[in-house]
Amino acid sequence: MSTNQTVAPSRAPAKTIHESFGPWLLLAPCLAVLFLVGIFPLCYSLWISFTSYHPTNPSFDQGFVFLDNYIAILSDRQALNSIVVTFLFTAGSVLASLIFGLLLAFLFNHDLPGSAVIRTLLLIPMLVTPLAIGITWRIMYYPDTGVINYLLAAVGVGGQAWLSSTGQALISVIIVDVWQWTPFMFLILYAGLRSSPRSPMEAAAIDGASGWQSLIYVKLPMLKPIIVLAVLLRGIDAVRTFDQVFMMTRGGPNLATDLASLYLQRVNFKFFDLGYGAALSWAFLLVLAAIVVTFLKRTGFINYISGKERL
Amino acid sequence: MNVVGYSRNRTTGATSVLPAVRIVLIYIAMITALVFFLFPYYWMVSAAFKGPGDITAYPPVWVFEPTFDNFRELFQNLGAMKALTNSLIVVGISTCLAIIFGSMAAYALARFEIKGKEILALEILLFRMVPPIVSVIPLFILARKLGIFDTYWILIAIYTSMGLPLAVWVMRVFTQEIPRSIEEAAMIDGCNRLQALIRVTIPLMLPGLVATIVIVFMFAWNEYLFASLLTSSNARTLPVMTAVTIKPRAIAWGVASAAGTLMSLPVVVLAMLVQRYLVRGLTFGVIKG
Repeated sequence: MSTNQTVAPSRAPAKTIHESFGPWLLLAPCLAVLFLVGIFPLCYSLWISFTSYHPTNPSFDQGFVFLDNYIAILSDRQALNSIVVTFLFTAGSVLASLIFGLLLAFLFNHDLPGSAVIRTLLLIPMLVTPLAIGITWRIMYYPDTGVINYLLAAVGVGGQAWLSSTGQALISVIIVDVWQWTPFMFLILYAGLRSSPRSPMEAAAIDGASGWQSLIYVKLPMLKPIIVLAVLLRGIDAVRTFDQVFMMTRGGPNLATDLASLYLQRVNFKFFDLGYGAALSWAFLLVLAAIVVTFLKRTGFINYISGKERL
Repeated sequence: MNVVGYSRNRTTGATSVLPAVRIVLIYIAMITALVFFLFPYYWMVSAAFKGPGDITAYPPVWVFEPTFDNFRELFQNLGAMKALTNSLIVVGISTCLAIIFGSMAAYALARFEIKGKEILALEILLFRMVPPIVSVIPLFILARKLGIFDTYWILIAIYTSMGLPLAVWVMRVFTQEIPRSIEEAAMIDGCNRLQALIRVTIPLMLPGLVATIVIVFMFAWNEYLFASLLTSSNARTLPVMTAVTIKPRAIAWGVASAAGTLMSLPVVVLAMLVQRYLVRGLTFGVIKG
């Protein structure tokens, strides 16, 4: 009797503890790594952003300047330019690669003989190192000796200036990004297309919907979580783009392709203005975070992610 | 036979008939896409085997005498072997860590009731957004102080943290796509949670897991910014070595293309090896029956 009474109450809390600490044990390694390599450097960077830190220039006042760096951003034309360029680059690249990715996914959904091989080969651009991609496209884009202008001339289109023209440089680097990442979008969307349940399409077909109608009114809405996931991952990566554009233009000509990451690199490693660089980084981060949170809420993806809605 | 072709249309689960014209158009579209997406890669690989004169020749040279000079230069004078070894060690270890830790976290977030887990997932995602250029300065100072500058450790730590958000989010969606009821059924049949995970959930999401591994590996393998600023000679990875071939004045396009070819080879081979899981595997409905 007495043993039963002591065992029963002690068992119940033990199970609760197991159930409530289990998930945290699973999360612990991930959170530990992200804290050490992610949060800590960011906090340090936040501290630097309130100082005027110039490691290469000891005579410079290294002291605490509070919000001076942040106020300086507002009158920094290059910073504002870099934000506009980053926005145009990201929006253009993500939208175009989503459209091409969707088209390819529907195209390959026909499952014709040989399409499996082509599908596999199509993945190559996203596998190649961005740095190497920058090198190759720069060679191909050369106005005088590049193969692109040569091929255009063969079909009767006049030579373009591409990377060396202020007006065309941004669209040129967007083309490279779309070329590189459409396969990524295609891979995710195609997988989503194939793994989504068939029964709603069958039901639509029975109800007399045409192929296109069921595609647009049944298939696309079913794909929505996958599309949002693809756009999210792609958008976040596009915003961080550095290697290819650095290799192709270094931000020029006339800052036409000066992405935020390239401008930050210049502030930090050319001018070694680390305090101002950190402030810029933080301003950039806050804008990004606001955009992503708005995007997640607008698309209702937050409900899907949190498991409140199911596919 | 000549006018109609058959295609298995899995969206309706039935065999449907496409008109021949449409089939031809679909093939034309697929081939056009293939040419567009493969040509730059072909151009890079062919440039790697061209001599100095052939690379800058205009009109472009399509047929040329292949030379291995560019690769010889890479291995003899630029230390490609060392960089290759460094890349394999650093990226291999960090990919394993990211996948193991990421899957654990993804499972916890998908299957357990945790207070504020949506916010937690969002915070994990936020790390993915942080541009490398933002955290490289503090990490540089930290690495110097800990004496791990220009060692494998600093890059392994960074690449693991880079891969984690992607692993957590992708694995979490894959886990959520598998109904809890399948696991619960296994648990009713006498499995504990771990057994249900190993016998039911993991096999079901294996294709997704393999695809995630390849993507995480690829991002780390191709990373340039951190590697270039946090290593000098000892732990230098392949992208850093490649960038060395690009000098402000005399750009060695042939050597750079050879380095790009060498760099892309492991990722392309790996993706082709797991192609069955990467592409076809994902096409199996994760939920079967």
